[in-house]
Parts: sequence; C-alpha cells; structure tokens
Amino acid sequence: MMKKINLIYLLMLLFTTSACHEVEEWENDSRGNFEALWTILDEHYCFFEEKGVDWDSIYTVYSARLEDKMTRYELFQVCSEMLDELRDGHTNLITPFDISYYHNWWSDYPQNYDARLWQEYYLNFNYRKASGITYGILPQNIGYINYSSFSNAIGEGNLDEVLFHLISCNGLIIDVRNNGGGNLTNVETLVSRFITDRTLAGYISHKTGPGHNDFSKPEPFYYNPAEQGRVMWGKAVVVLTNRSTFSAANNFVSIMKYLPNVKIVGATTGGGSGMPYSSELPNGWGVRFSACSILDPQGKITEFGIEPTEGCAVDLDPQAALQGHDTMIDFAINVLNEM
Amino acid sequence: MMRRLLLIVAVVLPWVAMAQEDSAVVRPVASAYEVGVGCSNITDTYLSPLEYDGLEFSLRYERRQAMKFDPERWSMRLAGAVTVDKTDNPVRNASMWYAGLDLSWGMTHRWRLPHNLIVSAGGSTSLDVGCIYSTRNGNNPASAKAAWMVNLTGELSWSTRLAGRKLLLRYQPTIPLTGVFLAPDYGELYYEIYLGNDDGLCHAAWWGNYFKMENRVTADWYLGSNTALRLGYQGNVLSTKVNDVTTKMVSHSVVLGVSGEFMSIAPGKVPHCDSRIISAIY
Repeated sequence: MMKKINLIYLLMLLFTTSACHEVEEWENDSRGNFEALWTILDEHYCFFEEKGVDWDSIYTVYSARLEDKMTRYELFQVCSEMLDELRDGHTNLITPFDISYYHNWWSDYPQNYDARLWQEYYLNFNYRKASGITYGILPQNIGYINYSSFSNAIGEGNLDEVLFHLISCNGLIIDVRNNGGGNLTNVETLVSRFITDRTLAGYISHKTGPGHNDFSKPEPFYYNPAEQGRVMWGKAVVVLTNRSTFSAANNFVSIMKYLPNVKIVGATTGGGSGMPYSSELPNGWGVRFSACSILDPQGKITEFGIEPTEGCAVDLDPQAALQGHDTMIDFAINVLNEM
Repeated sequence: MMRRLLLIVAVVLPWVAMAQEDSAVVRPVASAYEVGVGCSNITDTYLSPLEYDGLEFSLRYERRQAMKFDPERWSMRLAGAVTVDKTDNPVRNASMWYAGLDLSWGMTHRWRLPHNLIVSAGGSTSLDVGCIYSTRNGNNPASAKAAWMVNLTGELSWSTRLAGRKLLLRYQPTIPLTGVFLAPDYGELYYEIYLGNDDGLCHAAWWGNYFKMENRVTADWYLGSNTALRLGYQGNVLSTKVNDVTTKMVSHSVVLGVSGEFMSIAPGKVPHCDSRIISAIY
C-alpha cells in the first residue's frame, strides 16, 4: 500500500514539476522594460568578457536614472546609452520612433572611401553591374569588383559572367569598403570561387545558457569550391577594406586573408563578428544584439576588426583624392603587380 | 435490425479498406472529420520572452476500429490534425505563427460498465511536427518543433438519448509518457544548424522537460442510424523546458464535425447476415 502511495506521490510531483516551467515576466513600465532589456542582454550577449564590460555595474549606473514618470523618449535615451556601453555595431534598440545605433566603431576612423573616384577616374563610368556586383577592368589590366553589400544575393550564373569578363586580367581587386555585411551564405558563394579544396572557413560558438561563460565549444565550419563547370579564379587577389567593412563582409575578409595568393589591403575592418539575435521588450520595442561568435580560421576573434596583410595598411589620401586618385586602389594595383 | 440493414446498404468509402477475414465478425470503421476554432497562447523564449495570444484553427480526422485479435475489448484509434495559430504580442506590434501536423495511433482496452458507461485505457504513439515563426526576428526567426512520443490515453463514454436521438458523450485525455523531441540550443542560430552543428537538438522526454496534455470532450448526436453531428471541446497544453529554453503552448478550441460508422465490402465477400457487428465506440 505504501508503495502505491509513494508511486502516486511521485507521479504528482512529476506532474507539478512539469507544470512549473516558469517564464520570467516584467511589467510594461519604465522599470519593467529596462529590467527586461538588461536581463535579455545579460543572458544572451556574447562579448562581455572580450570587451571587459561589467554588466552588473552598468545596471547600477543606468537603473539609477530610471523614473516612474519618465517619457518613452527618456526611457529610450537611457536604454540606448546603456547599450552603447557594449561598443557593438550589431546592437540596436528598435522603437517606432527611433533605432539606437552605436556608430563610433566606424565614425572614430577615417572613411577611406569615395565611390566617385573609382567610378569616374578609374573606370570612366564604363562598368557593368550584375547581381549586386559592379565590375570593370582597370587601365592596368587589373579586374575590379565592387561589392557594396552582402545583402545583395549573388547568383552563380552572374558570378560566372563577372569572372569570365575579367578572365584575361592579371589580377583582381575585390573592393568591400563600406560593405556593411548581409547574408553569410553570400560569403560562401563568393569565397567558393577562390578555393580549390574544402577549406576551413572559421569556427562558430553560441551561448548554451544564461551564464556569461556558457558557450559551446567552437565548431569548425568549412566551405567547398564551386561546383565543377563554374568559372574559378586562381590568379592574385587583393581584398580592399576600410573600417566600414563590417559583419558578413568582415567574415569574408577573415576567410580570404588565409587563402594563398590573396592579400588584404587598406584599413582595419570594423569587426562585427557576433551574429545578431533578436528579442523584444514588454512595450513591444525590439532589441538586436551579438549572440553567436564567429572566429576566423585560426580561431581568433575578429569582433574588433581584421588588420590588413603585413605591409598592406594604407589610407585614402584626401589631397590625392581631390586630384582623382584613390591611393588605396593605387596601392592595391602595385601589390598585385608584385604578387 | 437497423444494423443488419446497414450491412446491406453499406457506404463505400475509398480510403476505408477493411478486410473481413472472419465472416462472423464485422468491425465497422468509425470516422470523424472536425474543424476547430479557438484561442491560443504561445510563449517560446528562443523567440521572445513575451506571451503571445491569438486564434487557433484546426482540421482533424479520427478513425477508430475494433481490433481483429480481440474486437470486444480492444480497439485502435488513428488521428491526425493540422493546426495553424496566429498570435500577437501584448502590444500587438509583432506576430507569431504556428503551423503543425500531429499524427497518432494507439490501442485501448475497454471495460463496459453499467448505465451505458464505457471506460477505455491504453497507449498510443504520436508524431508531432511544427514550427513557430516570429515575424520580427532576424537570425532566430523560427523555433522548429518535432516530437515522437509514447502516450497514455483513455476514454470515458456514455451513450444516452436527446430529443429522441442517440447521443454519445465522450471524454478523451492523452498524456505523453516519454519519447524524443527536438529543441534548438539556448543561443544557437539557424545558420549554425545549417552549417551542420546539430549537437544538443535532440532530447529524451520526461515530464520534467516535456509535458503535454490533450483533453477532448465531444458529443455525437446521431441524425441517422450511423451519422452524427459532433460538437466538442479540444484543449491542448504543451510545456517544455530544455537548453534553458521554455516553450508553452495552450489552446482551447470548439470543434464541430461529422462522425459515423462506415463499412466497405469487398466484392464476393459480403458478410453473412448473422455476422456480429463490433463497434469501436459502443
């Protein structure tokens, strides 16, 4: 009889345990929304340690600015400034009236880019466009590809056309300055034209729990060459970068940097190696932040940017630009001629 | 008399193929088609910490038949449902959709009690697949759901009459015991899964991490000898917590449908008029 009672008790315990999958809730007021934002970041953000951010201290500082009667604009200001402490271009608070955005990762640096220079003075507006890629042949018989966003899908057929058009060139410049990123699948599509074997493209790690150090083991991932019959590129390549080369473009650079016959020329990229994760607050504001870290093929973090190949750092000279010279493209041409 | 007449003028349904090897026993198939509409609450912390609420629409099919090996006591139930939920967050500026397909097959043993009461108990196995999709998220836009479960199931039915017509009232609870189910890892984005990392996606289920309960109450009011109008309630509760991700889905629906017992008779195999008809529901 006691055994039966124990069994019933055990079943009831299991039943009540399962019914207690609690979900933390917050009030839809200033404090509740602030608490929700802080907690979501506390449990999911992936770069606290790398950036030396003491998130508990930040809570103390910014929660002290909360007031019961504050307007939504004032709350947005407090929350935005708190998110800026992460120094992360992938972190935004999205409201109906504004989107917070940390811009110092690029605005504290020279822009190093003027599209008019290559359009007018290098290609004389004689260029083609295919699938988000603008391309042409420079007077030095160097192929030039400008890819402004990895959000623009790259068609395999379009890539064939682009590379076939440039096939007689001595080298290739892939200009990803001001490329703010996009879809990583486009990175794979583009890289696959420059590799001949299955290639280690990096490592990816994600949060496995709410603790600041709860991460999965970095998992290697590989890219394969484009399928047989596609136009491949085996000659020298320069990837041209600036500080606004960010996110998926940063990832593209991190892979290309370790390929043979490829050099990175220009300025240190903007980073943005944390894949963004989305969530929301009780008042309906959206929040986006880095949650999943992508490391380069050597297992190094690239959140703070990727430096050019040794000896290949160069800025755009504003004075030369006034004369129609893009000193970064000029430098890239010289590098290609020497490769 | 009516049942014998039914044998002679049996309705032939193409999807009902019933082999009548034992000419002394006939096991009609009880089928039901239902539409359901109701309210739904969804929380999935992989997508959002907020509880979304909205509407649920469903289509259901149920087929029951006495088992060949012991038709008096054992019967089987095959059920399928397609469900679509459309829910909104509390401030109504974002939506979550759920689409799911649930299939189950089980057997129950029945005991006939006085006063037209029948109690059944048994087990079933089910396959549930679905996906919750958030319209506002980027790299974590969806939470895929898949579960294969072994369930306890039962039924209490009571037949009576209403307005001179037969009325069958039934209560059917189902609760999973164990199985396996899929859930995304805490912060794993779909791109990583796309790259091939499926660690931590598949889990053994027990009541501590996977609790589901399905409650059905139906009333079949017979309009003819073997066709009934069905009105009922369908309540589903799902609560899972694994990888520090909690999912809760609760729905309450009103169901409306038709049910009936049908037979198909193979050419040259017309059952003898003395055959016993053993229904799965009476």
